[in-house]
Amino acid sequence: MSFGRFFGRLLQLFPVLLGVGFIVFFMTELTPGDPVEIMLGDTQVTEEQEIALRHDMGLDLPIHERFVKFISNTVTGNFGLSFYHRRPVAEVIGERLPATIELSVVALIFALITSIPLGVMAAIKKNTLLDRVATVGSLFGVSMPGFWFGILLLLLFAVKLQWLPVSGRIGYDVEVPVVTRFLLIDTLLAGSWSGFKDALAHIFLPAITLGLPMAAILTRVTRTSMLEVVNQDYITFAEAKGLRKRVIIFKHALKNALIPTITVAAIETGSLLGGNMIVETIFGWPGLGRLVVESIFIRNYPLVQAAVLFYAVTYVMLNFVADILYTKMNPKVEL
Amino acid sequence: MKKQLLIMTLSAAVLMISPVQATDIRVGFTQDVLTMDPANHRKRETETILRNMYDGLVTRTTSMEVVPEISKSWNVVNATTYDFKIKQNIKFHNGDTLTAEDIKFTFDRLITENAMDGQTSPRKSLLGPLKTITVMDKSTVRFEFETPWPIFTAMLPFQEVVSKKFVEQVGTDGMSTQVNGTGPFKLKEWRKGESIVMERFDDYYGGASDIKPVGKACVDRVIFKVIPESASRVAALLSGDIDIMVELPVHSIAQVERSNIADVMSVNGTRSFFMSMNNQRAPFDDLRVRQAVNHALNKALIIDRILDGRATPISGILSPDAFGHNTKLKPYKYDVDKAKRLLADAGYPNGIDVTLDVEGAFKETAEAVASVLAKSGIRAQVSVSESSIIKGNWRTSGKKPIEGDMWFTSWGNGSLDPTGIFEPVMMTDARGNSTGFSNAEVDELLTQASKTAIAKDREKLYQKAEKIVNELTPAVFLWVPQDIYGVSKRLKGFKPSPDSKINLHDVCAS
Repeated sequence: MSFGRFFGRLLQLFPVLLGVGFIVFFMTELTPGDPVEIMLGDTQVTEEQEIALRHDMGLDLPIHERFVKFISNTVTGNFGLSFYHRRPVAEVIGERLPATIELSVVALIFALITSIPLGVMAAIKKNTLLDRVATVGSLFGVSMPGFWFGILLLLLFAVKLQWLPVSGRIGYDVEVPVVTRFLLIDTLLAGSWSGFKDALAHIFLPAITLGLPMAAILTRVTRTSMLEVVNQDYITFAEAKGLRKRVIIFKHALKNALIPTITVAAIETGSLLGGNMIVETIFGWPGLGRLVVESIFIRNYPLVQAAVLFYAVTYVMLNFVADILYTKMNPKVEL
Repeated sequence: MKKQLLIMTLSAAVLMISPVQATDIRVGFTQDVLTMDPANHRKRETETILRNMYDGLVTRTTSMEVVPEISKSWNVVNATTYDFKIKQNIKFHNGDTLTAEDIKFTFDRLITENAMDGQTSPRKSLLGPLKTITVMDKSTVRFEFETPWPIFTAMLPFQEVVSKKFVEQVGTDGMSTQVNGTGPFKLKEWRKGESIVMERFDDYYGGASDIKPVGKACVDRVIFKVIPESASRVAALLSGDIDIMVELPVHSIAQVERSNIADVMSVNGTRSFFMSMNNQRAPFDDLRVRQAVNHALNKALIIDRILDGRATPISGILSPDAFGHNTKLKPYKYDVDKAKRLLADAGYPNGIDVTLDVEGAFKETAEAVASVLAKSGIRAQVSVSESSIIKGNWRTSGKKPIEGDMWFTSWGNGSLDPTGIFEPVMMTDARGNSTGFSNAEVDELLTQASKTAIAKDREKLYQKAEKIVNELTPAVFLWVPQDIYGVSKRLKGFKPSPDSKINLHDVCAS
């Protein structure tokens, strides 16, 4: 892949993001519900006080002026003040982002390390008990709603067995020096093994709840593509050469069979961010998803707009990464 | 002798090996604070948490009486002037001594346009027509209003005192994440979105003298944990992860009661539930139809079956605990025949078909209400939507016609003074008026009451207004639900408060 092509692809992102910006702005602003009314809540206020608050929140300007302001601000990386936090939106989002990313990454790792071996085994031992278990298991994983499965895990592991904590990222007694803001890394950097274990115990249930549907999908994808690959001529040839089965599977078949798995994984990683909203609410995980949902309900426009833009950028970038990975693994495809 | 020695040695050993354990209280709370700045938010939950670190001039007891806190006493000079005496030697968390200047600064910051580094406090409107604050001497501060505002002391507990020097030092920006209050706990760490950890403030002046015990807080630390999902909060309570759980759902009460770990506590809330009827158009423009709905609803049954009995029925907009509540209001009796007869008189012998708007959280209750109404021929179809959307259709302030037939709604009134609920909900075109109700006499009574300083006279005006509203029944007044808490058995001294404050100064843990 030439650098020019790569750069060209990168440039294509801009119209996409501009479009997303447009849609996000007007969808949030045109949804019924008045942020000023919501903020005032159940109180008696005079009309002047209401007008003053509207002015303070910048909502007294006509919508086209607000849009121009939104776009010009966004380009300079200024997303305005959160109506409710009364602090810059970028700052508020930045505080929550590490938790979301950490959870997504651990969920992704969980999905990969369970689905790939399971999918491969299911394909090799097709129509055996193991295959059936994997198939039924993945059906179960895809169809299980996170809000139900999460609560179930909580009741079993936190209430009944008391092995794992209910909520949060780490015990409030554990002090972690801030370096990367990813607690699993920061605790290790600080040499705190007990802190690491505590962070791991906290992330365990949310990561499983979040990663399970993805693991289920990837198991199916891996199984299918593995089955396809093992029926191809070059595998038969390898078998004819008398190579050991393990070598055939791991050295020859897997490399090709994983192409669809990696592609799907990259795209699905985007949906991990979306699925976060539910998991974060159940496990009191201080991430971005929960913040966005809360903000939608109270019509906190600046925060919702910035967060949705962020999600869009992430999705587009992940797709881009998937494309690049694809070309790397399959030289026949070009960007 | 030997035995004694042995016991002494043993107990010394026990003393030595038992570590000095910090006592903590952990509260499972629905949401995080928006900011640490008590002047820069408009959120009840944020205030509940901040109130453990910031004290106010006055506070409320758990029976909702307003009592001095930082102030020693106050004196109503005339209808627009109040003098507050300030306690001396109150310390801020950073060791500075509180002065009358801090009080003036706190309220100037709240009421002056752009006073907070270019921002205006969103709490300004909670101080009504407050005009000037003057330091009279080192222990007296004077508050002057443009017009009489009799609810000043009822609204004052919503404000917390900050340090002038500290605010000038850290700015509004710094105030959003740092705390330097005079409250019983100081901020140790804010893990945003996750928890707020507070430590006891050892130089605390003791708090309100009317709320015993006076002195330092009982426990070493207080932790507010953010757990938005109620099922997870129940799980946390039952697994011993938290000691106090807010908003315990009715369907989990039995589970908590069975647990041996925690008790269920409840207290009358301050939120009045009612069913708005669209008085602007048929069929609810006819008084007889509105009366019919009142007679068709078996409130007692719904309170008993759906709300576990944890609600108080109301016949007017005011809570029975509110100032000015009319105890002589006549409740509409549940009477299916009378409801049918009234409907027939109004020209609906076959009943009416209407919609009942409700937000998701109260769907179950609204459906129960609808099924009861159906027995009298009021066939209400429950329509669930998001609250901000419904509000736009119903609370139109007279700017456009109200859309919809009936709305299952509520209005909170943390001050328990009628100004906070009667005026916005029942006055012509007021911002919370969702019925289209417009009655010149009620408007006049409420306006007059808001300017009357003598409590007895004010009370009478509200009672008269309540009587008219009860008779014209623009809405079906339903109930004031109790706030339900799950409280660990290891806590002593916790008593839920009707204004949903969780002040942990007096609570001990074993």
